[in-house]
Amino acid sequence: MAYSEFWNPKNETLPREQLQALQLAKLQRMTHWAYTRSPFHQRRFDAAGFHPEQLKSLDDLRRIPFMTREGWMESQVEQPLFGALLTTQQEHAIRYHLTSGTSGRVPIRVLDGMKDWEWIAEMWSYGFWAFGVRPEDVVYFAFGYGSFIGFWGAHYCCEKLGALVIPGGAQTTEARVKQIVELGVTTVCSTPTYALRLWQQAQEMGIDLRKSAVNKVILSGEPSGSIPAVKRQLEEAWGARVGDTAGMTELGTIMIFECSHQPGGTHIIEDHFIEEVINPETGEPVGYGELGERVVTSFGRGFIPVMRYRTKDMVLKVPYSTCDCGRTGDIYQGGIRGRWDDMKLIRGTNVYPRAVESIVREHDAIDEFQIYIWHSDVRDEITVKVEMKPGREGEWPALSEALAHELAAAHENLRFIIELMPPGTLPRFELKAKRLVDDRPIAVY
Amino acid sequence: MTDTDILGIAVTPMEQETLRAYDMLKQLAARDDLPPCAARNVRKALAAMWQATNDLNLQFEQLYDLGV
Repeated sequence: MAYSEFWNPKNETLPREQLQALQLAKLQRMTHWAYTRSPFHQRRFDAAGFHPEQLKSLDDLRRIPFMTREGWMESQVEQPLFGALLTTQQEHAIRYHLTSGTSGRVPIRVLDGMKDWEWIAEMWSYGFWAFGVRPEDVVYFAFGYGSFIGFWGAHYCCEKLGALVIPGGAQTTEARVKQIVELGVTTVCSTPTYALRLWQQAQEMGIDLRKSAVNKVILSGEPSGSIPAVKRQLEEAWGARVGDTAGMTELGTIMIFECSHQPGGTHIIEDHFIEEVINPETGEPVGYGELGERVVTSFGRGFIPVMRYRTKDMVLKVPYSTCDCGRTGDIYQGGIRGRWDDMKLIRGTNVYPRAVESIVREHDAIDEFQIYIWHSDVRDEITVKVEMKPGREGEWPALSEALAHELAAAHENLRFIIELMPPGTLPRFELKAKRLVDDRPIAVY
Repeated sequence: MTDTDILGIAVTPMEQETLRAYDMLKQLAARDDLPPCAARNVRKALAAMWQATNDLNLQFEQLYDLGV
């Protein structure tokens, strides 16, 4: 059966001027809704001297004050459980989720109404359709189905698409590999880390996943989904196309996806979001091709409006014309490139975990790794602990030398210590991988 | 019934019909004499139709007061 290449042909190919007019119309309505129904937003708007009536053009967006995670958390602490953010009564909600709560912070708690929950699946539908998922597909979710929102929306998206959905749920990796092969799965959804883990497990079981029916692997949950070396390894391992998506609990869903043309980046769903890129220090907008911080405004979940939310995600926006698929949504080249607050300072040099990962993953003999930051008697040190793939241990001497050289060259000649670890000693992850351990003592004054 | 979408562009006959179905579901959801089997399924259908009409720029509104 012939299908449209676009989930929503009307808006995905809308000329930019009309797309911006649509964003303005939605922004006017959403700010009015937030102002009149959410005490949290009303207070913020009033404090900044902003009123929704002031939105006459899209440039007026900048009159809206930034929303921060800290402000959201404070409101939750002041008024448990959801703060003063809700626009309607809690009994209208059908779904509760929360952030994964990294760094021991207060998790962000969210509620969704019936149409919000449908919308969450709708955004995934833009992405999955664009990457080629169709009703004939058999889609496997290698996901634990907990309170973390993760792939929940993608699951319902695939039901909506008419695909056969297989919830992986709480099973061993071995059991999941067996299901993927036995059930003729065509599309696997997981984090990049876990897609590698599934492949490693398959190898141990003597299964060549390239001979399976899997032809698409769709990633989410970690920035590495758009790292070329990670992608290349996964495409070779699975014998399938690998596509990236990214979302956040604060929105409930994805806001960017990679289309089947694989332009080296992810399209923004611009009829449902406004994505700004700013200089994280000045708050001023940066242009195409400049690295900056994502700031998102959502037209989806009305239960908890998200307006000019500072994500701390590091992105680089390029025009839609970078891709030849016909979509007019701009692109984040390289997807989400990490987080501004992930940056570590080692002896005066900035180190970003994703930059290290992109170098480490160029060496396909490496099975797993960890970045370990510690303090010796006199100074901070950074060690990359490495496990080699079985049967490739002989490559270690040359690999360790090359890796140390490449990491130093990319980091102002900072010395990286490269350490070989016995097989199976580094932690493995299913969801958000935590490959950085900062073991430096916290200063006490 | 509107003749244009929220961008002021004339709606097609398909879009008119889609919007009509959405409006009909809204009217049904507002009734208080529906049995549970109808009341809840109408809301579920309305939540889905909100996506279609919103994606096509035919409306952009909130439905919480209808329990959707």
